[in-house]
Amino acid sequence: MLEVKKLRKVYDGGSRTVEAIRDVNFKVSQGELVCIVGPSGAGKTTLLKCIAGLLAPTSGGVILEGNAVNGPPPAMAVVFQEYGRSLFPWMTVHDNVALPLKQKKMPAERREQLVRDALAAVDLANVHGAYPWQLSGGMQQRVAIARAVAYEPHVLLMDEPFAAVDAQTRADLEDLIRALWRKLKVTVLFVTHDIDESVYLGQRVLIMSHAPTVIMEDVTIDLPGERTQLETRSLPCFGELRKHIYSQIQLAKQGWRPPGG
Amino acid sequence: MSGALSIARRGAVMLGLPAVLIAAWWIASAGSDSFYFPPLATILQTFVTLWLTPQAIPNVLPSLSRFAVGYFAAAALGIAIGIPVGSSRNLRSTIEPVLEFLRAIPPPVLIPVLILFAGIGDEMKILVIVFGCVWPVLLNTVAGVRALDEVLEDVVRCYRISPLARLWHFVLPGASPQIFTGLRQSLSLGVILMVVSEMFAASNGIGFALVQYQRTFAIPEMWSGIILLGLIGIALSLIFRAVEAWLLAWYHGLRRTQRAG
Repeated sequence: MLEVKKLRKVYDGGSRTVEAIRDVNFKVSQGELVCIVGPSGAGKTTLLKCIAGLLAPTSGGVILEGNAVNGPPPAMAVVFQEYGRSLFPWMTVHDNVALPLKQKKMPAERREQLVRDALAAVDLANVHGAYPWQLSGGMQQRVAIARAVAYEPHVLLMDEPFAAVDAQTRADLEDLIRALWRKLKVTVLFVTHDIDESVYLGQRVLIMSHAPTVIMEDVTIDLPGERTQLETRSLPCFGELRKHIYSQIQLAKQGWRPPGG
Repeated sequence: MSGALSIARRGAVMLGLPAVLIAAWWIASAGSDSFYFPPLATILQTFVTLWLTPQAIPNVLPSLSRFAVGYFAAAALGIAIGIPVGSSRNLRSTIEPVLEFLRAIPPPVLIPVLILFAGIGDEMKILVIVFGCVWPVLLNTVAGVRALDEVLEDVVRCYRISPLARLWHFVLPGASPQIFTGLRQSLSLGVILMVVSEMFAASNGIGFALVQYQRTFAIPEMWSGIILLGLIGIALSLIFRAVEAWLLAWYHGLRRTQRAG
């Protein structure tokens, strides 16, 4: 459904060129929840922007549902890291969620239904008229998630969406994402620097090397589908996976690369 | 109770100094037999008969309508040029030197030139106001558009917001705090140019009346016209503040929460 093929991104700054991504290849199937985890400076945001069609790769590319991605595709929604900057502060919560839908030229009734359902799904049914800056950080990020969900994407990209919220809110938001993913059967690609988060959320975890980035390993997370913060995180295999990915990230930080990368 | 009290106190503080100054003027000029500095009582009497009766209309109305037309035309022009200039680096580097030159020309020096081909009618006076008022709006719009948030820009692209909706829901509101800074600067400039343009060549208007009074040594009348201009300035500024508080309510709210957090 989503395929990243020989993706390479070089930033050309005139006299200085920086190779951010060397060769990234992976596939995501319909309905999967895949996490991408990497050390800081691994080019996570660059990779995500290339997949989202916000940034043109230097070579290689992204194929979504059989079509090459040349710009933001209509079947894709993105939740950004900076929740404080990704909502329009001059619009109410309702209007923030509704604006992308207005571009889709659907009947107003259906649009209102989608906005209501999306805000209810993130447990914000009572703040339609509030402005984003009147809400807490966690609530703002939930509005951004509602906006993405209401857009009815086939693929949901998330760029370290919980990096800037406190730990407890973060756990709640992780459970929210799992719940939404299972309910909506949407494909989710979740970028994070948090190893625990990637194991807890994902069916698979892709480990990124240090820049210039390649995928170091594709780890299958064989945890049960029903996950809870308390039980899942104390399972022995959770610890094993966490330990394995942690050691890989340490290797990546030291500059180790898979053969051929 | 305390709210009403604090409003009363703020009102007292705001009006305190003006009251003292007026009282000082009143006492100092009382019984004055200087031809140039008549008693304030005389000036105020003249003010009431001259400007608070229907005979004021033939001078006040043309002035204010020329001001309004010139000011709003300058605002529209400044925003309309400022948005493309702010959006395009190439356009900016091409026309910036020209803008700097035009901005450096003091608008009143254009009056003799404009009289040559625009005559001494309303067109000339409106053109002078437009030429003076357009720069603060234009330059602040450029700055506002350049400072638009790049995360929101990504949101706009990712949700495939149409160019028109982008302008209306993102660019204009995003730049509006700075556009209003420009509009505020232009407001006082506009009043100055309204009067100056009428002093040169005119058959009506407050500036014209002032010069007439001066030439005919109608000194109390002249002073009363100056007071009128001051009051017009205050009134315009109060209207401006009310409009700004309404349109930028989101911005002031956002700033308050940012300061508190």
